[in-house]
Amino acid sequence: MKVFEMLIPMTIEGLKTTIGVFLVTLIFSIPLSIIVAKLRMSKNKAIANITGTYIYIMRGTPLLLQLMFIFFGFHFVPVIGFAFGRYQAIFIAFILNYTAYFAEIFRGGINSIDVGQVEASTVLGLSKTFTFMKVILPQVIKNVMPSIGNEVITLVKDTSLVYILGVADALKAAKSVSNTYSTFIPYIFIGFVYLVIIAFLTKILGNVEKRFSYYR
Amino acid sequence: MTLIVENLSKSFGATSVFSNVSFSIEKGEIVCIKGKSGEGKTTLLRCLTTLETPDGGSIKINDRYLYKEDNGGIQTASKDNLQEIRQEIGLVFQSFNLFPHMNVLENLMLAPNFLNKRSKEDIEKRAEELLKQLGMEGKGDSYPYQLSGGQKQRVAIARACMLYPSILCFDEPTSALDEDTRGQISEIIRSLAGQDIAIIIVTHDNAFVDEIAERVITMSGGTIYES
Repeated sequence: MKVFEMLIPMTIEGLKTTIGVFLVTLIFSIPLSIIVAKLRMSKNKAIANITGTYIYIMRGTPLLLQLMFIFFGFHFVPVIGFAFGRYQAIFIAFILNYTAYFAEIFRGGINSIDVGQVEASTVLGLSKTFTFMKVILPQVIKNVMPSIGNEVITLVKDTSLVYILGVADALKAAKSVSNTYSTFIPYIFIGFVYLVIIAFLTKILGNVEKRFSYYR
Repeated sequence: MTLIVENLSKSFGATSVFSNVSFSIEKGEIVCIKGKSGEGKTTLLRCLTTLETPDGGSIKINDRYLYKEDNGGIQTASKDNLQEIRQEIGLVFQSFNLFPHMNVLENLMLAPNFLNKRSKEDIEKRAEELLKQLGMEGKGDSYPYQLSGGQKQRVAIARACMLYPSILCFDEPTSALDEDTRGQISEIIRSLAGQDIAIIIVTHDNAFVDEIAERVITMSGGTIYES
């Protein structure tokens, strides 16, 4: 059982990265994506188009490529003489990428709210910001929770892409141990670790959905 | 005069909806605006409640201009005034547009709390009073999905009345009601008029017009006739 003597501490180390990237991405990209969704829907054509292009690039290229671009890319621009550190590059790439996906989900959610809600708010003298925060957004969150949950689960697994920048996450830990002992066991083990994390998240997401089920 | 509308016109692109519409309404009057669908009744109502901006003419509420004719164009009241004048005129939507994620009391208190002109206690007292008046006592904690069409309408009326409007508009108030609740809504509208609120009802329900109207304005061919 020497395999596990090496595997368990390395997995725990790796999970710190996995969970760290997951949490930082989520905490920053969800609020940002609501702002991006609003900009995407702006009446100002220039703002809407720029936001649309950003979303197109983020969804149209692999996250792996984006990680490489943000980390290695600046080394090839000698004029700036500036480059991001590994973790900076990881956070920037993940946040930019996930913000784009979340923004499209929120845009759909905002569009799904009946225009009568805004009209009623207008006639009652509510300001636009207040209407968005108190009338529209709470209804949007209820509607988009299932789609957001999907992305959140994908995010857990996407964090394994950080290996490309030489950062060890949980999956990378399993790979190292597997190579050292020429055994497949670490992969099976790490598969279960992911399943446990996802089970836990599914439970949390379910609870959040339940919290919004008090009305129809 | 509570409401004075002069030479009001509105078009969407090249299509004129109505033009040179003028009428006025006194406090406590019940006025029905009828006409076939597509004649611009609802658009007129939406102009009165600032959901649409008219192209020309003026709207004056309690001696203050909401829209004023200005060199053939139209000038909207300044932002501060607009906010205040808008509160003078309430609207009960055809589909009520209650906020589904808030219970009845929250629906009623959201706007007055935001406008912050009265104390929280006064606002809550007013809400309870209105619910009692409208026969909705004890329904404060219910959510809109738990209410019948007639009950939702009464909540929508109470929500509009929370701001003490001098004019209350109804868009097709009988469209979602059965015979019994129709009788109740006429009673409620009469009692509101009795409290000096001017009532404007847009409807194509002739029986309802006969039952409730003190004055009838007919919209047809882009203009209005009073009978």
